[in-house]
Formats: sequence, structure tokens, C-alpha cells
Amino acid sequence: MNIAVCVCQVPDTASVIGYVDGSVDYSRVNKVMNPYDEYALEEAVRLKERFEGSVVTVFSVAHDSSKEVLRKALAMGADGAVSVSCTEKVSDPFQAAQILCRAITNFYSVALPDLVFCGKQSTDFQSAQVPSMLAEMLGIASVNGVTALNVSDGFLQVEREIEGGNEYIDLACPAVLSAEKGLNVPRNTSIRAVMEARKKSIDFSTSSLHNDPFVVMTALKPLERKKICCIVPDENELIRLLSHEHNMF
Amino acid sequence: MNKFLVFLEQREGIVKKSSLSTWNRVQELAALRGESVVSGILCGPLDIQQLDGTLSGDGVMYHASDDGLRLYNQKYYTSLIADIFKREACSALFFADTAMSRDLAPRLSVRLQASLLSGCSFVETDAAGGCVRSVYSGSFLASFVPKQRERIYILSSRVPEAAYFSGGHLEFRSLDTQSFTAEDLFPVVRRIVMREGSPDVAEASIIVAGGRGMRSAESFARLEQLAALLGGSVGASRTAVDEGWRPHAEQIGQTGKTVAPVLYFACGISGAAQHLAGIGDAGIVVAINSDRHAPIFDVADYGIVGDVHLVLPKLIDSLKEFLKKK
Ligand SMILES: Cc1cc2nc3c(=O)[nH]c(=O)nc-3n(C[C@H](O)[C@H](O)[C@H](O)COP(=O)(O)OP(=O)(O)OC[C@H]3O[C@@H](n4cnc5c(N)ncnc54)[C@H](O)[C@@H]3O)c2cc1C
Ligand SMILES: Nc1ncnc2c1ncn2[C@@H]1O[C@H](COP(=O)(O)O)[C@@H](O)[C@H]1O
Repeated sequence: MNIAVCVCQVPDTASVIGYVDGSVDYSRVNKVMNPYDEYALEEAVRLKERFEGSVVTVFSVAHDSSKEVLRKALAMGADGAVSVSCTEKVSDPFQAAQILCRAITNFYSVALPDLVFCGKQSTDFQSAQVPSMLAEMLGIASVNGVTALNVSDGFLQVEREIEGGNEYIDLACPAVLSAEKGLNVPRNTSIRAVMEARKKSIDFSTSSLHNDPFVVMTALKPLERKKICCIVPDENELIRLLSHEHNMF
Repeated sequence: MNKFLVFLEQREGIVKKSSLSTWNRVQELAALRGESVVSGILCGPLDIQQLDGTLSGDGVMYHASDDGLRLYNQKYYTSLIADIFKREACSALFFADTAMSRDLAPRLSVRLQASLLSGCSFVETDAAGGCVRSVYSGSFLASFVPKQRERIYILSSRVPEAAYFSGGHLEFRSLDTQSFTAEDLFPVVRRIVMREGSPDVAEASIIVAGGRGMRSAESFARLEQLAALLGGSVGASRTAVDEGWRPHAEQIGQTGKTVAPVLYFACGISGAAQHLAGIGDAGIVVAINSDRHAPIFDVADYGIVGDVHLVLPKLIDSLKEFLKKK
């Protein structure tokens, strides 16, 4: 099987995201692989281990370099990586999907890959739009938020969460699947895997943007979450406050 | 003239409450904008009488009642919506925030070359039609503006519910779906299985969540009891899910659900950034934790410092007593 995995980098939630003059200050931010993309990549690598002759290639589109993240993907078991850096800032999911689409169709030239894995959403802008947009551009089916996957003879049985339950879906390759937490437990990379990953190649290219963005961000402001917590002496006082001050029950 | 189209989602023949509320909000928006008309689209067989007294205002409701649309079908739903949107020369398409709409909207954005604004907690009523939503795990609020003439909005459930106003006239029109056959390789939903019991955490207005401090799957029975008393749902931290005490569907936070209850109880939860990412829009937060310095107290309105295993039974008893007296 030919498997493509789309990975992006996001700020590590553990680092403090600063705010200067109306925009995000990334200077103290550590960039990591989007957590959902780890589930996507893990699933791809597991399929490769199951189906002999499979090849896993990761794709990443970024304004600046995403080399670190791609190195990590190679260490986790991807065979190769394609890094597309853009001459301008990619500002919406439509543009990101467009460039990914072109990178994937160029790379596989004759036929589409059997599977394209993405993460369910990026944890920075949380749009959860790129996977389905990419599928529509590639003209293939997609399932978002996959929590279980079974592949046999080019057919897929997938499970995903919907409000209040689960949906069981059958489909055929090629398809785009976006990974939800619970799909698997991503492996830790050993030092040996990291060393071996250095021998694998990353294919770097640059691209200009095709279109203007469909959506632009016009303002950004930090949300102050700190509250003054009132420590209450006992349960009765808590119930009284919730009832009298807030009409809760 | 603005033409707004609202997608109303049904599952198992029942139209979702969040879709009804989206329709009513769009009616409000149309009234504020002026010169606007609202239409709706329903896919799948259902008894339309259930809609009596739930949808405000005037409008046309397109209904594709084919039995083949009972379960969600990505391909057919996408083309039905796209066809109506184009045929009626609509300017904006609205969805409630659900798994189905997050599947459909990005495809439609590409197909209709329309700007997609998702997770909107607020939509401007002027012609620019911008929206506001939180980004970076709820630590920032961002404004987005659509650049295309056609727009698609996914309204977050956090938007205050629009009131139903009676007196409108809704005209039903059936849609022809003869061109649909089941020959191709596109996804088909084999079945859906709904969980029993309490409502989904993402939709609950009161959530009682537990973390590592609960120490076992069994002790979550207390949280279930408390949730049942309050008509709420149980939620969990990632630790509680990873330990296997609760299903992933209940996980709240960065890699779980984003919730917006009016009242949130955090029991034995430390308040890690990744957990707080999911409760940025919660109303009143109550923390019960044995460590006075746990970060959860920095974002809580009320706190009880103590052992959850001692506090919860007392809280449940006092609450029962209190509710009885009322
Ligand atoms: C990429 C990534 C994504 C993540 N996504 C999520 C997510 O979606 N959701 C999430 O929740 N976490 C997430 N996490 C994990 C997060 O960082 C924390 O590890 C987790 O939230 C901690 O769960 P907890 O509060 O239950 O446990 P702990 O941090 O161990 O806290 C337990 C708390 O219980 C208190 N306690 C102990 N015993 C008692 C008692 N008897 N009575 C009262 N209080 C007691 C302690 O004082 C402590 O404050 C993520 C982490 C990463 C790296
Ligand atoms: N710039 C990008 N490069 C590669 N993959 C991306 C990029 N942006 C988004 N993706 C993929 O799309 C998923 C969802 O992202 P988003 O729609 O931005 O929330 C991510 O988890 C990635 O798998």
C-alpha cells in the first residue's frame, strides 16, 4: 500500500504562548508535532508493518521549516518525507489543503495513494477542515475522527464517534482518514530509530500560493481565565451559594 | 436580498435540537440583517410533525425523504446541499456544530468555493459577516472574516440559544433524489450505536468531571449519582480515561471534548493546561481537591479543599436534602 500522512507542527501546550502588539509571540514557544498527527502516523506505520511492500510518506506544508517534525516522523517509521515551504504565509485551511493536494498528486504522479492519513485537527487553530477539503480536492472519500480501523483487500471498516454514540462506516480505498485519540497508542522513538532516520531523505521544495485565502484572521486577543476562587467551608454553603447567587437549582 | 440556507440534521428520524436552535438563530440574524430569507434542508425520512412549534419565522423547507438517506451519506448529502445552494443562489449556509457538519462543511467549502467559518461563537450581522472563535486551546479569541461572496458557518453550541417565536409560515417542498444509487465506493454508514443513559458531555449544561483523585472506576459511581441528581453528565480528565476508568467519549480537554456547561465540577482534577483547554467556555467552575495549591483553583469560582471521597457523599446528601425542601 502507498500511504501518505499529513503532519503539521503546533506550539507545545506546555509552553507559554505570549502576546505582543496584537499577535502571538512565538519566541518562547516550542514547536511539536500536532498530537493528532502522531495517531495518524502510528496507524500508517502499523499498516506498513502488516502489509509487506507498503511505503509511508509524510507531507508537511509550512512557511518556515518543519524539519524537526519530519525527522521525528521518520524516526517513528515513515520511509520518506516531503516538505513544502511556502513563499508567503499560509493563512487558511483552504490554502494548506491546496498545497498538500498538489504535493501529493505530484509525488504519486500516476495514481493516488491508497490511504491519506491526517490528524483530526490541529491544536493551534483547531479548524478541523484540512482533511475533508483535501479529500474533496483529490476527489475521494473521507472519514473524520476515526477511533478504530480495519483494512482488508482495499476495503476499510472504520468507527468514529458522533454525538452520543458511534458510527460504523464501510468504504473503499483511496480515502482520507483523520485520526482521533484512541485509534492507537503512538510508539516512543528509540535512539536507534532516531539515528536511522538521519539516513532517510527529506525532499524539500518551495511553492507559491495559488489563491488568496478564503478566510482571514483580523484580530487576536488573549483570553484572561484567572478567577478569584472563593474557598467554601462545607457542602451546604456551596449549595446555598450556587442556588442563591447563581440560580443553579 | 440575502438567501440563507440552514442544514437540519436528523439522526434516527429525530431532528437535532442544535439544528432547530441554529434555524432560530439564523431567523434572528435574517431579521437583524433585513432583506433576508431563510430556507432549510432536511435529509432522510422523518415525521415532519415533530417540527410543529419548534421553528420560527417564514421559510421554505426542502425535504429529501428518500429512505437511502436515513443514515448519513457523505456523497449524497454533499451534492443535495450543494445543488440547493446553487439553484437558489444562496449567499450563506449554516450548520450546528456536530460530527456530521464538520464532515460536510469543508467539502462544501471547496465545491462551492465558499469561505468556511467554523466554531463561530458569534456572527456579525453586517455584510462583512465575520465571526469570533477561540484558538490556541482557548487561550486566545480570534476574529475571522470571509473573503468569498458565498459563506458557510458552523455555529458553536456556545452561542446563546435563540428564542422560538411563533407566527411564521413554513412551506415544505420535497426533493427528488432518483439519481441516487448505491453502486459506488463512497462511504456508507453500516450502523450507528447510541450510548445509553446520560446526554453527551459536549451538550450537557451541567458536568461533573473526575480525575486521578477519584482513584478508581468504582468511585465514579458517586459522580454519576451527583450528575443524575443535577440532570447533568459525567466528564473525565485524560488520566481517568487512560486509566480505563471512563470512556474516551467523556474526555474533556485538548485531545478530548470542548465543553460549555453552565456549571462544571472538577473533582480530583489538577487543572493541567491541556484539561483547561476544554473548559474555557464553562460558566461557574467548582473545584474539589485536597491540594489547596492545585492550579484548578486559579480558574475556579468556588472551591472545597478536601478529599473527594469524603466531600462527595456529603455533597450528595446535602443536595438531596436541599432539593427535597424546594
Ligand atoms: C498532547 C497532550 C494532550 C493532552 N490532552 C488532555 C486532555 O484532552 N484532557 C486532559 O484532561 N488532559 C490532557 N492531557 C494531560 C494533562 O497534561 C494532565 O496530565 C491531565 O489532565 C492530568 O489529569 P488529572 O488532573 O486527573 O491528574 P493529576 O494531574 O494527577 O491530578 C490529580 C489531582 O487530584 C488531586 N487529588 C488526589 N487525591 C485526591 C483526593 N483524594 N481528593 C481530592 N483531590 C485529590 C491532586 O491534588 C491533584 O490535583 C494532555 C497532555 C498532552 C501532553
Ligand atoms: N500545513 C499542513 N501541512 C501538513 N498537514 C497539515 C497542515 N495543516 C493541516 N494539516 C493536516 O490536517 C489536519 C487537521 O488540521 P486543521 O484542519 O488545520 O485542524 C492536521 O492534523 C494535519 O494532519
